[in-house]
Amino acid sequence: MMTTNKVLGLYLHIPFCVQKCKYCDFLSYPGMDHEKQVSYANDLINEIEYYGELYHNKYYVDTIFIGGGTPSLMEEALTDKIISAVRANFLVEEEAEVTIESNPKTLTRDKLAAYLEAGINRLSIGAQSLDDRLLKFMGRIHKAGDVIDTYRLARECGFQNINLDLMFAIPGQTMELWQSSLEQVIELGPEHVSFYSLQLEEGTPFFQMFKEGIFTEISDELDRQMYHWALKKLGNRGYTHYEISNAAREGFACRHNLKYWSMDDYLGLGLGAHSFIDGCRFSNETDINAYIGADPNRIAVWSHHNTEKDNISEYIFTGMRKMQGISLCNFQNRFGKELQEIYPEETQRFLKESLIKIEEGHLRFTLKGIDLSNHVLSDFV
Amino acid sequence: MNSYQQNIRNFCIIAHIDHGKSTLADRIIENTGLVSHREMKEQFLDNMDLERERGITIKLQTTRLAYKAKNGNEYIFNLIDTPGHVDFTYEVSRSLAACEGAVLIVDATQGVEAQTLANVYLALDEDLEILPVINKIDLASARPEEAKMEIEDIIGIDAHDAPLISAKEGIGIEDVLEAIVEKIPAPKGDADGKLKALIFDSYYDNYRGVVIYSRIFNGKIKIGDMIRLMNTKKKYEVTEVGVYSPGPMPVSELKAGEVGYICASIKHVADARVGDTITMDDDPTEQSLPGYKKVQPMVYCGIYPADGEKYENVKDALEKLQVNDAAFLFEPETSIALGFGFRCGFLGLLHMEIIVERLEREFDLGIITTSPSVIYKVIMNDGSEELIQNPSNLPSLIEISHIEEPIVKADIMIPKEYVGSIMEICQERRGKMIHMEYLTETRVVLHYEMPLNEVIYDFFDALKSKTRGYGSLDYEFIRYEKSNLVKLDILLNKELVDAFSMIVHESKAYNRGRFVCEKLKEIIPMHQFEVPIQASIGQKVIARETVKAYRKDVISKCYGGDISRKKKLLEKQKEGKKRMRQFGSVEVPQEAFTAVLKYDDNK
Repeated sequence: MMTTNKVLGLYLHIPFCVQKCKYCDFLSYPGMDHEKQVSYANDLINEIEYYGELYHNKYYVDTIFIGGGTPSLMEEALTDKIISAVRANFLVEEEAEVTIESNPKTLTRDKLAAYLEAGINRLSIGAQSLDDRLLKFMGRIHKAGDVIDTYRLARECGFQNINLDLMFAIPGQTMELWQSSLEQVIELGPEHVSFYSLQLEEGTPFFQMFKEGIFTEISDELDRQMYHWALKKLGNRGYTHYEISNAAREGFACRHNLKYWSMDDYLGLGLGAHSFIDGCRFSNETDINAYIGADPNRIAVWSHHNTEKDNISEYIFTGMRKMQGISLCNFQNRFGKELQEIYPEETQRFLKESLIKIEEGHLRFTLKGIDLSNHVLSDFV
Repeated sequence: MNSYQQNIRNFCIIAHIDHGKSTLADRIIENTGLVSHREMKEQFLDNMDLERERGITIKLQTTRLAYKAKNGNEYIFNLIDTPGHVDFTYEVSRSLAACEGAVLIVDATQGVEAQTLANVYLALDEDLEILPVINKIDLASARPEEAKMEIEDIIGIDAHDAPLISAKEGIGIEDVLEAIVEKIPAPKGDADGKLKALIFDSYYDNYRGVVIYSRIFNGKIKIGDMIRLMNTKKKYEVTEVGVYSPGPMPVSELKAGEVGYICASIKHVADARVGDTITMDDDPTEQSLPGYKKVQPMVYCGIYPADGEKYENVKDALEKLQVNDAAFLFEPETSIALGFGFRCGFLGLLHMEIIVERLEREFDLGIITTSPSVIYKVIMNDGSEELIQNPSNLPSLIEISHIEEPIVKADIMIPKEYVGSIMEICQERRGKMIHMEYLTETRVVLHYEMPLNEVIYDFFDALKSKTRGYGSLDYEFIRYEKSNLVKLDILLNKELVDAFSMIVHESKAYNRGRFVCEKLKEIIPMHQFEVPIQASIGQKVIARETVKAYRKDVISKCYGGDISRKKKLLEKQKEGKKRMRQFGSVEVPQEAFTAVLKYDDNK
């Protein structure tokens, strides 16, 4: 019996992929064979059971997000087994949003059908670009045609909530190439579009290539032109820009990701996953060899109980990622003080510089403010 | 001369930095049985942390020791420590004047260096008996015979029976003690004559006022005596006399030949200046001791409280430092860019660095220092003269007839393979070579005349860098010289930042201006607007760089639920902002002020 109405988002990390993309710094390993996949799934299920025991009386799950890596690479029987374990150990809301991340070329009709059967109702496809040359350059395993095929197949199978991920500011990408990719994506008509500016992360092949002078970064000017063009285009085509890098049709904003930006509770399970629950942040072991076979109560290797000060600054710097911003009224209810009272000088200064604005009782970024959001937010930490 | 006086030996130790002066002093103290090894803090005489860390002695300490020699007699040793750096030449000369002999340490691995030589010449000027010892003979690279030959060739004193020692390992210390007894003469002077005593150091004590270190040359001094300081012409009643052994130990009187301390309720160290002569007020000596000189600061810079630091805290700290350092001057000044602060005067660059470091470390203050400057003599059209220590105060050019700058005589000692590169950096710094001298087959001393403003800018760093640390420098002021100098201003976003202004030779202005602009471009972060950085002489812009406006400062990626990663990133960014200082609309990191002064090997 449900004893509480507190909701929880569940994140499940699947660290497998066919090959590492050249820009990727996420925890993911290519070449995980059947045996390793099974043993990882078992450990993940152990973790699900352990945390289910701890939390199933206090929370019910309203979003599940299976991320990676390339979770769609995993055999569907294992995916099903994991989701079943979640349902057996947690109370999962009937209308829960259940997302899986996927790569074109890893999905078949059978797999997609199995996903729907297991209750997965949202499919996120990592398209990244619709230009074959750029896809190859980034180390992606698919071509533009695969994106379109996969998308159509998913629709045919019955997926009614699809996200397409795109990247811009890829070295070598022109404004025209970007426009063409986004236009083709919009033409397909997904419910949700994510658009990330490519980031050079230390330790990735791209970073090394950049340092060796093999390519140069896209200028900040072009990066911003691409971004702002995308916002306009998506807006014209009926998408709501609801988070710095995300837009969706009415009612299709990603409920799971919104939890990250709203200080809601979420539990991350699997290698290197992060959690925020009961005012405590913690994260899991990042070494795959240490993770496999480990006792579930020893997998979290870092934890931090948020202070009020942490809560305030996190509420601001996560909340401001949402385009609607922070409700000043909610802020005051939550922390017992007005935001402008805690940050009088900062608020005034950025308002004056037109980087932020107050509208409809919300503090939010202006378009210019988005571009300089770190500059602004770093004054609130 | 009585037998007591016969058995006194007053001596000091002279050496180049790092050649082991303080270590030998420690060993001498240990071997005379004054303090046990256990009680000894490493390097006894250097009592400031900073001195110990830098391995140099700034303030003098003096100690009375008892030594029973092999001949059966008991001797009193007064060991007078001397500062070891070019900025403190005058203090060195006064403590030398208090001695009859000097132990000269030469590092067996390094040989004779410029600093050693400069101090030996000072000692010879004072007619001291020089007792050479060769140190660090325990090291594999020691070449004691070569070191001896260098002493004989370069300094011209007999070194054939110089003790071979290792102060660190305690080897040969007794030989040094015996040589002190044998070779250094006993002090002369008549205890019944008129009082004549030399002040060779002083410091401030909260309870006793100024404590004077003094060498009595004639007569005697005791509690209750009315004394007169002959140069400052002030009178005081003696409240205490004593010796350090090693702590202060009051004695009934100090008499001719002795070294000790004197307290007389003196309020400021500036009232008891090094080099002054003490005599009796009612029975004065006719002639004061020679060599009195009021030390004048040669280098000036501005010291300002950094953001968040209180002006009063800086002022209090400067006052505390000045109480003990008569050579350090400061007065309030205002900068448009930096607000309220102080113009401070130092003997030289090292003196400045030490004061700045003490403010930061001992007093835990956040401060900004501006470009060091020398004192320029500005001759106005009407013939009047103005001394300018702060470039911002330079009168308008139309009122000026010409400007004169201080020139120093610089002796640069280097291994011969560096002659070419050092001559090059001297020439770049407007040095005029007087002559070059081969001290030995491998060591050369270059005698130059150079503008002091070039020396204080980055010459010492350049010398060290080009000679891999083997070059050494000694300099002294010789004269003012007319020179073609201009004021170089730096403008950020079209606004002059006075704290960056400097006076430079016209021929150097273009390069310096470009260098500063380039450095600032590296250091100043991007703003929401373009920031032009300009170097100008008067209205004429001679160099320009631009910090581009930033267009993008956003992380679009969300890293799953990893909020801590994002938070760390923002915190780091915030830290960076804290170290900024606002000039008009431009934020400048505080390190910019020192960075534009740093020697750059690639320039």
